[in-house]
Amino acid sequence: MSRRNLELVFLVLAGAVSTMAYVSVYAGRFREINRVSIIYGLVFVGIFLLLHVVERIFLPQADPFLLPITALLAAIGLTEIFRIKPSLALTQGQWLMVGAGLFIITVLIVRDHMKLDHYRYLIGAVGLALLIVTIVLGTTINGSKLWIHAFGFSIQPSEFAKLAIVVFLAGYLDDKKVLLSVPDRHVLGVPFPAPKYLGPLLIMWVLSLAMLVFMKDFGMALLFMSIFIALMYMATARIVYVVTGVGMFAIAGAIAVYVVPHVHERFAIWLDPWKDALGSGYQLLQSLFTIADGGIFGAGFGRGYLLFPNHTPVVPELQTDFIFAAVANEMGLIGAAGIILVFMLFAWRGFRIAVYAPDGFSKLLAAGLATAFALQTFIIIGGITRLIPLTGVTLPFVSYGGSSVTANLVLVALLLMVSNRTNIIRGGSDLERRKLAEMGG
Amino acid sequence: MSRVFIVTVVLFVALIANLTWIMAVRAQWFQDRPENKRGIAEEMKIKRGEILGYDGSVIAGTQRKSGYYYRDYPSGTIAPQLIGYDSVTYGRSGIESQLNDELTGQSTDLGVQNWVDKLLGRRPQGASAKLTLVPGVQKVAQQELQGKRGAIVVLDPKTGALIASASAPTYDPANLEAQWARLSKDTSAPLLNRPTQGLYVPGSSFKVVTGSAGLDTGKVTPDTPFVDTGTYVVFGGKVTNYGGEVYGANTFTEAMTFSINTTFAKVGNLLAKKRLIAGAQKYGFYQTPPLPLPAGEVVPSGRYRKGKLLPPTAFMNPLDVAWAACGQENLLATPLQMALVAGGVANGGRVMKPYYLQEIIAPDGHVVQKAQPEQWLVATKAATASQLNTMMQNVVNVGTATNAALQGIQVAGKTGTAEKGDGTNLAWFIGFAPAQDPQVCIAVVIENTTATGGEAAAPLAAAVMKTALAQPSLP
Repeated sequence: MSRRNLELVFLVLAGAVSTMAYVSVYAGRFREINRVSIIYGLVFVGIFLLLHVVERIFLPQADPFLLPITALLAAIGLTEIFRIKPSLALTQGQWLMVGAGLFIITVLIVRDHMKLDHYRYLIGAVGLALLIVTIVLGTTINGSKLWIHAFGFSIQPSEFAKLAIVVFLAGYLDDKKVLLSVPDRHVLGVPFPAPKYLGPLLIMWVLSLAMLVFMKDFGMALLFMSIFIALMYMATARIVYVVTGVGMFAIAGAIAVYVVPHVHERFAIWLDPWKDALGSGYQLLQSLFTIADGGIFGAGFGRGYLLFPNHTPVVPELQTDFIFAAVANEMGLIGAAGIILVFMLFAWRGFRIAVYAPDGFSKLLAAGLATAFALQTFIIIGGITRLIPLTGVTLPFVSYGGSSVTANLVLVALLLMVSNRTNIIRGGSDLERRKLAEMGG
Repeated sequence: MSRVFIVTVVLFVALIANLTWIMAVRAQWFQDRPENKRGIAEEMKIKRGEILGYDGSVIAGTQRKSGYYYRDYPSGTIAPQLIGYDSVTYGRSGIESQLNDELTGQSTDLGVQNWVDKLLGRRPQGASAKLTLVPGVQKVAQQELQGKRGAIVVLDPKTGALIASASAPTYDPANLEAQWARLSKDTSAPLLNRPTQGLYVPGSSFKVVTGSAGLDTGKVTPDTPFVDTGTYVVFGGKVTNYGGEVYGANTFTEAMTFSINTTFAKVGNLLAKKRLIAGAQKYGFYQTPPLPLPAGEVVPSGRYRKGKLLPPTAFMNPLDVAWAACGQENLLATPLQMALVAGGVANGGRVMKPYYLQEIIAPDGHVVQKAQPEQWLVATKAATASQLNTMMQNVVNVGTATNAALQGIQVAGKTGTAEKGDGTNLAWFIGFAPAQDPQVCIAVVIENTTATGGEAAAPLAAAVMKTALAQPSLP
């Protein structure tokens, strides 16, 4: 079966699962299925069928798993958001359309991701600018300065900056990897590359710190730093960068715990949420109670106790950062573990694309994107289950939030482009090869 | 690259392991945590029983809104700290928590209708709880505390029934959830049920206990003579009188009447630590008064250090004993405990078990449970109680508590003024009336005042006792 037909089969499967979940919630809430509900469902199916068609035309040999996984996660997210607050699901559906539009635009304009390497400094600068703009113009919500209000929308630029930084780092590190991995000097007996090449990397470190101090956003800082360390390691295969990077971030994190009150509070809650169970620890404890309540099999879609009688969510921010608590409550341990495996499957496909990619830039790009995706998932699910201190990032495709879903759809588009190129070079038809050459990498 | 993937796999496996821990291994543990309020919403579908005052008026009622029952408070704010809250967000406290099984119809033995409902798998209705709290008295107690910080407790000394329990500052139970953030952070602690949770230095009001021990053990009689020089030097320290007064020759009765510290300090050392502490224990100090409320909502009185109750055997030197006999040193008492002291004297030396539940009324109207007054402790011999009664009448007639006197009714009492060292006092009055046949006993404490117990607390006690004695019926 061709990759695209395989993808269609998976999409249909994902669609079937999603439909069951959605119908169950809808019927539970309104006690009937009506035209509106069917239109919602059809629009959702339409979006992903459109993306599938775009792939058939422009990315014929792209990975067949990523889009169905995206569809499944988005459907579960939309279902839970609808279940928590129906009006938000409509907004999220619209953001999904915007994201699909951005996906198509990315595919049409970029066509071949190799082009991005030429503009790496520009892209890196844009990423940096997005973060600086957030620091300067951002609004503080829940203690973190993450948001920019513009044209009536709240945008979270760090979600897009994340992609730009990965593209930049992939290009830059691929270029300088030899210089970075064969250091010409030693500092205190540790191999140390020339400062010239380390400069941009120090900028990355300072950037992460700035995010910590100015945006008070431990989650994004952690994510950026981890992406950076992972990419350094993958480019140079030198463990010394990992040790140094982790050490530097640990020191910065420890200082932040003492200096930044918001970070300190998060850390204190993580250590002992029971101390102020009705105050600062309330949200995390409600999350744990909601998750524990799911049990092995879950309450079933639309049947969990997620809303107070006055329709406010039992966990504050349930629809965004804490959406996984809702998923765990209604799908149970089996469902929740299943969703985590789906995220892992996505990461696996991402790394697989990286491993098979024929050139260094493609490898680092795909691996960087897969790392970003996997770590963001880990940081938020780990946070709401008290495995690690809670830091507010979204759960890709599932959480409510326009910036998150659009940025992550672009992430999927980039991964698909890398895999398409790889598969054509490694075994596509002559026609496909010619087309690829025309696009000019 | 594959190494980084392996790291992500490890992280994801950790997520699943942790989820398994939470959702399978420890699920029940999380469900049983008292902080977990998830069961409350389900119980809100049950028609919750009402909480009634002794006069039958509704203190906490029930209102149905889109399938759920909510509390309403048709009589306004009535002892919200004791009644407690019933919040889907913040859980339950006070009587709402203590009587939850009855109020939600889950208790066994709630009448035939309830039994049939359960048998048929129907959602049972909650039973109502009628309290001994008399709203007429409670409202006056609350009014008297308006704008102040403090507490008033009124008991029936013969039964132990709680007639009023006021705590100030207070709050409106009808919009607790909206005000929670402010209330829970307010340093004046409006959510604290001061009558049972507030620990105060009892000051001279404790002299009733010292006197009781002295008379009971025969160390003193009401007529034992003492000489006050304004200072009693003991164990390298000294005990002085409030305001630096010097009284000269005095009998033990006069020492009680004018609250002479030096005399009580001497009595304390006549008794020595063991008998003094044993005397306090006989009134209930060092144990939690058996008023049925959730854990932590009633606290024991006694000697405390660093927030912890010391054992009765803890070391005290003679100076410690001297000050403790005057209600100072490390002594702390709740208003409820001090009302029980007054009640013990009023009831001939027998302290009754305090209670607030008059009856449980099943949904079908049958009374399924009725209060049975019980004796809790024997504090003194009847003769001692009678002597103390007379001495406490003197305090009100010619001593420090003249402000507690009532027209045509003999009041007995004792004031207390504990200096906090920051220029403010704790003002106390404990007492009962009518002295010949006590119907009510009372404890009043006022925080942050510059006045004495006789000035700041006694007039409030008079107003509340007057109201109580004018009620058509008391528990």
